Amino acid sequence: MKAFLSALALISCTALTCAQDLEEPPPIISSAKHATDGHVWGALIFATNDASQLTGAKEEAHADLPKLDQRLAKVFPFKHFEILGQHRQDIFREYESWVVPSRDLFMKIDSKGPAEKDGVNLHLQVWHKHQVLVKSDAILRKDSPLFIGGPPWKQGRLIFVLFLERK
Amino acid sequence: MKHPSEEHDLIRWIDGEMNETERATFEERLKGDPALATEAQKMRALSASLRAHLPAEMRVPHADYFNTQIEVRITQMELDDARAQKVTTSWSAVLQWLRQPWFALAGTAALAVLGFFVLRPDTGDASESMILSSYTPNTNVQARTYHDAGAAATVLLLDGLDAVPADRKISGINVKRTELEPELASTTMYDGQGAALLMISHDSLGNPMISPR
Repeated sequence: MKAFLSALALISCTALTCAQDLEEPPPIISSAKHATDGHVWGALIFATNDASQLTGAKEEAHADLPKLDQRLAKVFPFKHFEILGQHRQDIFREYESWVVPSRDLFMKIDSKGPAEKDGVNLHLQVWHKHQVLVKSDAILRKDSPLFIGGPPWKQGRLIFVLFLERK
Repeated sequence: MKHPSEEHDLIRWIDGEMNETERATFEERLKGDPALATEAQKMRALSASLRAHLPAEMRVPHADYFNTQIEVRITQMELDDARAQKVTTSWSAVLQWLRQPWFALAGTAALAVLGFFVLRPDTGDASESMILSSYTPNTNVQARTYHDAGAAATVLLLDGLDAVPADRKISGINVKRTELEPELASTTMYDGQGAALLMISHDSLGNPMISPR
């Protein structure tokens, strides 16, 4: 009887653990063992007026950034905006974080702690290959993306978008 | 030589401006001072002679013209005074308004609000992202930043960057997961299927190094 109860308890615990695992959403990004100050979405976008210059990339914008093309068009004088690559990334509290939607244009992020109004203080570096283009101190807040106008390319322009997905 | 006060008294005596007491005192002095009495007699005779030869009233030459000019001048002065008083009244009203006790409080509050909007680091809404500072190591590159309300985004424009050669192929990647290795100072990035896309670390100069190249 004692052995039966022990076996029953073991089976129950195992089943319960499995159920909890199923209920938890899969982690978006790993490295969960490191403390974070937020989560960002970064994208490299090609803006051009010549549709024939588009690369054919089929990346979709972040669901929380509706009408991204129209919003970009209000800032950059182009008709077509094509997402070349994208990256969802933790902002590590103790370590540097990299947002690499492309090998050509990417960003290094160092967290400087939380900011008021659900924001996060960041030190940003935009890199083009081995050259740092700009270093900035910024406060990134939800629903307020950062549009960075990068270098010209093929009669268009490369744009880096950084968006605070959640804290 | 007569003292000025004696001469003044003499003139007043001749013109009959002294009261009874003064006249009696002065006439006592005349009795004791023959020189003063002689002087007084001469001046009195001269005064009587002048009065006898001059009319009691003299007609002012061109009186109408003179009066008209006086009236014009008076009217002009009245208008000037009225105008000046009107300006003064306006300023007085403003000054009086400024002296109101509540104005000091309202003014202080207005200045505080103005100072808040002018002096804060970014004029945008506090719920917006903000660029606090920017530095471009390449001196040919200028960084401009502003908030675009229409795009609901904060913009950092890098002007003066060299164009990426048109024949260079730029392709993106879609990173879904990363693995940080602090001991190795490297980050490995994976796609949605779990396949490793690249690893980023540092070279000997501290610059980012992406592998495989």
